[in-house]
Amino acid sequence: MSMTKKTQDELDRWSKEVKRGAVTLAILALLSKRRAYGYEAVKLLDEKMSFLALEQGTVYPLLRRLEKRELLLSEWDYKDPTKPRKYYTVTQEGLKALGAMTQTWNVLSREMREVVMEVEN
Amino acid sequence: MSSNNPIELIEQYLDRVRVYLPLDSEDTIIELQTHLIEEAERIGNGTMTAGSAMMAIERMGEPKNVANEYAGSGEKVGPVPAEYANPVARIVIVLVGIASAFIVGFTMLGIPLTQLLGADIQNWPVSIPIMVFLNIFIIVAIIGIISMFDREKPLTDKTTLESIFGLGVEGFKPKGKLDALGDLVMGVFWAIVLVIPAVVFLYTPAFRELAMLVVIFLLLGAIRGALFYIGGENNFNLAVEGILSAVWISFAVVLINIGWPIRYVYAYTDGSWYLFDLVAFFTDNNIPFIPFDWIWAFIMFITVVIAVWRIFVSVMKITMYLRADKGIWWQGNWGERRSLRTPLWKRMLGEHDQFEQQK
Repeated sequence: MSMTKKTQDELDRWSKEVKRGAVTLAILALLSKRRAYGYEAVKLLDEKMSFLALEQGTVYPLLRRLEKRELLLSEWDYKDPTKPRKYYTVTQEGLKALGAMTQTWNVLSREMREVVMEVEN
Repeated sequence: MSSNNPIELIEQYLDRVRVYLPLDSEDTIIELQTHLIEEAERIGNGTMTAGSAMMAIERMGEPKNVANEYAGSGEKVGPVPAEYANPVARIVIVLVGIASAFIVGFTMLGIPLTQLLGADIQNWPVSIPIMVFLNIFIIVAIIGIISMFDREKPLTDKTTLESIFGLGVEGFKPKGKLDALGDLVMGVFWAIVLVIPAVVFLYTPAFRELAMLVVIFLLLGAIRGALFYIGGENNFNLAVEGILSAVWISFAVVLINIGWPIRYVYAYTDGSWYLFDLVAFFTDNNIPFIPFDWIWAFIMFITVVIAVWRIFVSVMKITMYLRADKGIWWQGNWGERRSLRTPLWKRMLGEHDQFEQQK
C-alpha cells in the first residue's frame, strides 16, 4: 500500500513525538550498562537504535541536559591529550529514573501491543 | 583561508562555532573537537586526512546551527534569531562596556558628554525611535551586503560577520598566564623603584604625600597577578580584580588633581650628576607647564578606562560563573587557548605536532 503525502507527514510527526520520549530512556539504558564518552554514545545509539536515528546534534545537548538534571555524571579523561574524552555515567538518581521509566515503558508497550493487535484483528 | 592540515581545518571550524557559543563553552568545544577527530579517523580508516576532516566537518554542519543545537533555545531572543543571540549580546556588552569606561574617564577629566559629542539631541523624544529604526535598518543592510560576499566560503573559513562577532570573544578572554606573571613581576618592580630614596626625592610635594599609597596599590596588583597565575580565572580572583579596580578609580580621582608628579629629573653636566628642576625651568622661561599635567591626566584617563572595563567584565563573569554553580575558588583557565598544534617556535626547535609524535 503506497503512502500518501499526508500519511507520510502524519507518520513523520508521530515518529518525532515518539522519538522525543524514547531518547532519554535509550541514553540512560545504554549508559547504565557502561560509561561512554560523547562520540562513543553517538555511535552506540546509531548502531543499536536505528529507529531513533540520532545525530550528534541531538545526543550531545541531551547528554548535557541530563547532566544538568543530575541524572548523568561526567568526568574528563585526558589520557590522550589530542582527544580528551568526557565520559558520562548514570547517577543513583539516574538509575532510579531509569527504573521508573522502564516500568512505565513496559506497561505502555504491553498495552499498546494489545490495542494495536485488536485493531489488526 | 583553508589549509591542508586536518587539525588546522578542525580548529578553524571550531573557531567559527565558538563565536556563536556562550563564553563558558570550552568543554563543548573540546567535546566537539574529539568528535570531529574520531569521526575523521573513522572516515579515513584510522588515519585523519584533510579530506576525512572536511567530511567530518560537513557532517557536523553549519557552525551557527551546531552552536545553536548546543546552547540555543531554537527560538528568537527578542528580534534576534537564537543562533545570533550570544554573539550579538557579547558585542553589545563590549560596546556598552567601552562606552561606560570612556564616559567615566571623561567625567573624571571634567569633560561633559554633550560637549564631547558636540551636539544636543534635537526634536526630543520623537527622534529616539526614528534613530533606533534607522540604525537597525542600516545594520541589517550592512549585514546583508557583507553576508553576500561570504556565500561561497568553505565551512572552515570565518565569515566577515563572524570576524566582527569574534571581537566580542576576544574582549572577554581570561587573563593569560604570562600576563598574570607580568602583573606580579612589574608590580613588585615598580613598587621597589618608587620607594628608592633617590627616586622619592624627585617627586612633587603633593605626590610625595600619596606615593606610599601608590606603592601599596602596586603591591596589591602584584598579589592579584600572583592569584591569577596560580588559580587562573575564578570568582575569587575576578572579585579581587573588580575591587582593586574600583579602589583605583576612587584613588585616581585624587591623583588626577595633583597634576604631574615629578618635579626634578637627573641631569649630567661637566662630569657630575645634578637635579634639574623641571617646574622651575618651565616657569622661568615662561613656558606653560600645562602639557605635563595633560600627559598625567591622559595616563590617569587610560588607567581609569581600563579599571572600569575590568569592573564591568569581572561583574559579568562572576554572575555567569555563579549561575553555573562554580562557587568561589577553583582551578580556572588562563587566556591561552589550548591548541593541538605545536607553536612555531617549538616546531623550529624540532618538536613535532602531538599527532606526528603519536605516529
